[in-house]
Amino acid sequence: MPDMNARLTRSSWIARITFLEAIRQRFFAFLLVLSAAMVVSSVSFRFMDFGHSELKFVADFAFGGMFLFGSVLALVMTAQLFFAEIDNRTALTLLAKPLSRTEFLLGKFLGTWAVLGVFVFSLAFLQGVILWSRTQELIVLAAESGRVAPDFSVSGLAAFAVLQWFRLGVVAAMVLMVSAVARTFLFAVIVGAMAIVAGQLQWLAQEALLKPSDANALTKGLLWLSSRVIPNLQQFNIGDTLVLDPTAISGDAVWSVVLSGFFYLVAFLALASLAFRRREI
Amino acid sequence: MTTASAISVQGLTKDFRVGLRGLKLRAVDNLTLEIPRGQVFGLLGPNGCGKSTTLKIVLGLVPATTGTISILGSPSATAAARQRTGFLPEAPYFHKFLTGRELVEYCARLSGVPADKVTAAVEASLELAAMTEAANRPIGTYSKGMLQRIGLAQAIVHDPELVILDEPTAGVDPVGSAAIGRMIHAMRAKGKTIVLCSHLLGQVEQVCDRVAIMDRGRLVLEGRVDEVLAQRDRHVITVEALSPAARAAAEAALAAHGATVTSITHPRRSLEDLFRELVTGSRDA
Repeated sequence: MPDMNARLTRSSWIARITFLEAIRQRFFAFLLVLSAAMVVSSVSFRFMDFGHSELKFVADFAFGGMFLFGSVLALVMTAQLFFAEIDNRTALTLLAKPLSRTEFLLGKFLGTWAVLGVFVFSLAFLQGVILWSRTQELIVLAAESGRVAPDFSVSGLAAFAVLQWFRLGVVAAMVLMVSAVARTFLFAVIVGAMAIVAGQLQWLAQEALLKPSDANALTKGLLWLSSRVIPNLQQFNIGDTLVLDPTAISGDAVWSVVLSGFFYLVAFLALASLAFRRREI
Repeated sequence: MTTASAISVQGLTKDFRVGLRGLKLRAVDNLTLEIPRGQVFGLLGPNGCGKSTTLKIVLGLVPATTGTISILGSPSATAAARQRTGFLPEAPYFHKFLTGRELVEYCARLSGVPADKVTAAVEASLELAAMTEAANRPIGTYSKGMLQRIGLAQAIVHDPELVILDEPTAGVDPVGSAAIGRMIHAMRAKGKTIVLCSHLLGQVEQVCDRVAIMDRGRLVLEGRVDEVLAQRDRHVITVEALSPAARAAAEAALAAHGATVTSITHPRRSLEDLFRELVTGSRDA
């Protein structure tokens, strides 16, 4: 497999430089700091728990930050890192080398996904610290009042971080596919944002399909297509259950979400590669 | 296609679709060209004549509408063809946060230089491009001339047989330009084929063995520099200490043989030569 090794080596070098470029961006630092501030401040907002348990509110608040800013980061950074190569014409130099366009795209994706990994796992670690610290306080309070002490699952938090990383990977692959076709950064970001919204609402198409209705064949066809082509991004958002009630979700269910994410990720990258093959640089 | 050709272009046409109505803009029109191996070949023409498009098609960066191209016997646009080719784009731009050495190493890895030979290849190309001293500085601090030279280093790091240089001296001062000219000579001495795209006709004349001139997408002239520039019906005689009497006698002698003296002037050196002579030793580093 010397050819495959050479291909992976070339992609890994593209990924390495992409990662270095991304990690130096102020935009990344800004969103990371903003998200970290949201995670840390989640304890301060616990009085707004709307009747839920305190840990659930703290966890949901932080997950929301990770979800929102992670999505923005995956959307903007993927498109920006791709168009920087095209607009600055560094792609001219790189693609004139014995590097296939698929290797180039794979490298861009892997570099971006690695940065998203830094984002997700840093925030998950920080959230773990916050949850652990608050749990210790609640254990003392529970002992004093004779109530059951709350707890959270570290492995559940780790599983959630992995799921979020895959969700952002799917978003990045989707944006890369759009970028491979788009002529401008702005177009790629707008269409990418619409694709993320569609992914968040995909479950509606699935539910509509399951319900008996008198919709015509065209509507049913469109619903079926939407439920198959668009990834269901909501399926990754099971953080509170994984962290606070891990027994409610089986390991198989988590694995099926990971595999589904991996399938969409590979499919979007394959489509991006096809679209990019004949693009004029 | 001949096996002696570094690049063989047969019937190349490239149309771009422009506007919403998809109007056809023909950038290259039925171009047929053979670039022999081991020579410095100049591709000339005004802006928009199709030379950069031709180079991009040769490198597989832009698909051709019709026509076939091969590089060193392999179909162009394949990784195998690009393995033996180095390319310096016009006004090159590289990641500013990398140092020159990191960039050249990055390009060596992408070009398939074996891991145990990368260091030696990087050092050799930096030396040829006269960039060893500045190699550890971030690219963001480089001058235009240094950018061109580091661009040249990344193009040759994998020891390609064919080197394509698109405007390598654009924006570079005459000293830097002369240094790049020397690098081109050094590469030719190693048996490389060099394709040079430039607007600096003086430099092209100095370094190229053959030239092709394109206009509006078509090839209008191709041949050896000496052949295409020579005016076979005219001669130049350069003499020193020509007195008025000797001049009159020479004119009379030529007239006796049916020749007409059309002008007698003092030879001039080029401004570029004068500039280089005056600023010898300075570099743009």
